[in-house]
Amino acid sequence: MKNCEQFKESVEAYALGALDAEERAAFEAHLATDCADCTKDVEEARWLVSQLAYLAPEAEPSDMLKGRLMQVVRAEAQSSKQAAQAKQIVAAKRTVPVWLWAGAAAMLLFSVYSAWDAQQKSNQVREASQQAAQLLEEQQELENQLALAKRETTILTDPTSVKITLASQDKQTPQLEAHWHTELGIVVSGWQIPAPGSNRVLQLWLIPKAAGGKPMPSLTLRPDADGRFVLLVPNPPELMAETKALAITEEPVGGSLQPTTAPRWVGGVS
Amino acid sequence: MFLAALTPTDSREVSPDATLVNRLLHKDVAAFEQLYNRHSRIVYSLVLRILQQAGTAEEVVQDVFLQLWRNAARYDAARGPFVPWLLTLARNRALDHLRLKSERQRRKEDQTEELPPVTVAPEYEKQLDEKRRAERVRALLGVLSPQQRRAIELAYFQGLSHTEIAETLKEPLGTVKSWIRNGLLRLKEGLQATS
Repeated sequence: MKNCEQFKESVEAYALGALDAEERAAFEAHLATDCADCTKDVEEARWLVSQLAYLAPEAEPSDMLKGRLMQVVRAEAQSSKQAAQAKQIVAAKRTVPVWLWAGAAAMLLFSVYSAWDAQQKSNQVREASQQAAQLLEEQQELENQLALAKRETTILTDPTSVKITLASQDKQTPQLEAHWHTELGIVVSGWQIPAPGSNRVLQLWLIPKAAGGKPMPSLTLRPDADGRFVLLVPNPPELMAETKALAITEEPVGGSLQPTTAPRWVGGVS
Repeated sequence: MFLAALTPTDSREVSPDATLVNRLLHKDVAAFEQLYNRHSRIVYSLVLRILQQAGTAEEVVQDVFLQLWRNAARYDAARGPFVPWLLTLARNRALDHLRLKSERQRRKEDQTEELPPVTVAPEYEKQLDEKRRAERVRALLGVLSPQQRRAIELAYFQGLSHTEIAETLKEPLGTVKSWIRNGLLRLKEGLQATS
């Protein structure tokens, strides 16, 4: 086994990842002996090596990257929150039968003495039942939202999703970005998107490859107050292989069966 | 801001980055956004320099920040400053892509990857604004010969070994080793001298 002095010259190259396999193995074997001096030297050398990042020419990531990331992060944060809420609801639901039985027993007992009192208890039981049903509905709704958020996140991050850029005719208008996953659907997203007129929405269309094929209508949405536009289409009306392009038009609330305005954004499906 | 300040040497102080990372453990979206705003530019610059392709670079940067969001607990503030840790993570990811590793293999590695402690902050480490830090590193390495600097860049930005660099530059192996070591020592001395 070599001593520390013999490895001193290898510390920086090791941190840089430049040692050849044999030298690296020998150095790592030495580090495995819990040599405190060399371990500290390597940690400092790693810091030194990390400073080389500043040699890279300065570059700015696109706003779309931040938008995409924030979308995934918000969806996952929401999922965590909803999962916690769902857990609470399930716990609450489990306590409902005890309430119901206690309520029913109380109602029977007191109804012997007073019809009025029985009526009151009956109402309480009905309310408890309604409450239980409402809790179940809320839980179901949360589970549905959770599933959609997970689907949206997977579409945005799965490497098999195809990214489609939807450019606007107006160069001042930010472009939209679609991610199409063959099994999970399409997510169209954009930031700082100008809101359409009142009682108007943005509608997605799938333009088929087939000659003479009519645009297939899809979902509609209005950007939120901050101009954030995120549209999830779980079941696209066309297959990706049969779709030439995606387009977005402005339509009346409720959407249209055929486009009634010229597309504001178009992106080819490669 | 282009680069964020690094952790101060006094370990009793908690850096703003460490505080933000801690908030990620509670799925704090605002903390994530702040970390992204502070560091996305240097991370993207590094990854783009390695991959040379904007689309792929953005995918890797997305991957890096999502890993930070999902596995914030992997960063241990007690073991070193945040920015070098993040840069090491980004460099490893970008080099993985560069080496054309299969997606399955990369994912498998994601699950088991334990980053080494990036560093105990050296004594000469100081808080610097991002621009000054970049200028300082460039100035210190700017005085190296073009070949020496090229050798360091091939190792750092392309992940080449000594032998591969010697073959690429058609220079003796011993010369390449000296160039890289002396260049890094010069950087270290320069950082110490200007601290």
